[in-house]
Amino acid sequence: MTNLGTGNPAIRLENVEKSFGDHVVLQNVSLSVGAGQVFALIGPSGAGKSTLLRCINLLERPTSGSITVDGVTIQTDHTIKPKELAALRSRVGMVFQSFNLFPHMTVLRNIALPQQRVLGRSRADAEDRAHALLGRVGLADKASQYPARCSGGQQQRIAIARALALDPKVMLFDEPTSALDPELGLEVLTVMRELADEGMTMVVVTHEMQFARDVSDHLVVMSDGGILEEGDPHDIFSGPRHARTRQFLRAVVDRQ
Amino acid sequence: MSTLWSDLVTYADPLMEGLWVSLQLTFMTLGLGLPGGLVLAIAAASRSRAIGMVATTLVELGRGTPVLVLLLLVYNGIPLTLPAFVAAFIALAISTAAYSSEIIRGGLQAVPEDEVEAGQALGMSRAHVLRDVIVPQGLRIAMPPLVGFCIIMFQATSLAYVIAVRELTAQAKSIANETFHYFNLFLLAGALYAALSISASVLNQRAEKRLNRHA
Repeated sequence: MTNLGTGNPAIRLENVEKSFGDHVVLQNVSLSVGAGQVFALIGPSGAGKSTLLRCINLLERPTSGSITVDGVTIQTDHTIKPKELAALRSRVGMVFQSFNLFPHMTVLRNIALPQQRVLGRSRADAEDRAHALLGRVGLADKASQYPARCSGGQQQRIAIARALALDPKVMLFDEPTSALDPELGLEVLTVMRELADEGMTMVVVTHEMQFARDVSDHLVVMSDGGILEEGDPHDIFSGPRHARTRQFLRAVVDRQ
Repeated sequence: MSTLWSDLVTYADPLMEGLWVSLQLTFMTLGLGLPGGLVLAIAAASRSRAIGMVATTLVELGRGTPVLVLLLLVYNGIPLTLPAFVAAFIALAISTAAYSSEIIRGGLQAVPEDEVEAGQALGMSRAHVLRDVIVPQGLRIAMPPLVGFCIIMFQATSLAYVIAVRELTAQAKSIANETFHYFNLFLLAGALYAALSISASVLNQRAEKRLNRHA
């Protein structure tokens, strides 16, 4: 397990373990993401990719191990104080597979309200920021709509804007295009690519192999709750070291 | 039939006065009882086991006791002598809080966990997630059964007749006692209750359609 991050890593996971009863979902996973790096997490279903991602912002509470994001370290094997949790989560933005916008608020309120609650911004400042971000994801005209009136691709871009509005240090993406048809998925991938180009630190659980190969600068292959191999995406795609990786890549890349 | 019509014309004023008292009692009952139900529903789901137990016990006691008994208990049972209207409104509000808390709890639990997670991932506190995400949507989900329950409570205000609140049923009874037109007076009272209840149901169905716009 090599550390490819340079300087102080943006995210460092050390010996993270997670089990539900007897069922071990993650075993002894360590990972280090440098500032500005784009990590892609791939692997078969049930490998623990989403669980690992959700451990980073403690939506899933690891059984043991430590998590560091932007200098805030949390030891997960004892009680986590609400203040620690807030400090960690304020640094991490997350985008979900099913968008999870608040359906009873307009698009604008979806993006503005968390800023008011979490950062204490005034309503006017928060809405200015929301308008700016909506413009950036190409949805300036959707501000006063309700989420149900937007397509899946639009909803996911709104969800990205909602997360970015809180000025996170890192962004987590949990299969952000899996619920979208290919064309709508492309809109989302374009926004993600722009974000990566601007230097955002990103960890992306994905089945989009093209994104993994071309946009990410570090690929992590997971299987059975552990990291199978990691490294330069092009190297792994062209010459996977592990038989299980080869088998998985054959299934997802060489599909007929 | 002609006597029914003439009774309606003759006693319209006292019956409408009674109806007005019934409505006032209903709105005051709901005004105290429904917020009480929301508080109990939130407390019952509290992470603190003690608060949860206290709330659940209050709800079960409130639901387990007949409204008529609550009315008599508050009016005659406690050492404090309250005006009949006040006693009725307190007793009915207790019952409303207990029953509505179960309806509201169902609504709060129906809010998708995904949205709660989204709030948490954004760094919102538990209190904010509750206030901004769970409660507004949970109440929306609970609204149709809640309005139905409010209509039942409007009808339940007729029980306040036993502690001498001059609401619609009491007015009908007292006129009938003098004229012996029991059938006519109770028929008229019943028709007034039904007219308001049915109108409220129709409005409720329309509102339900409107509320589902963004779902």
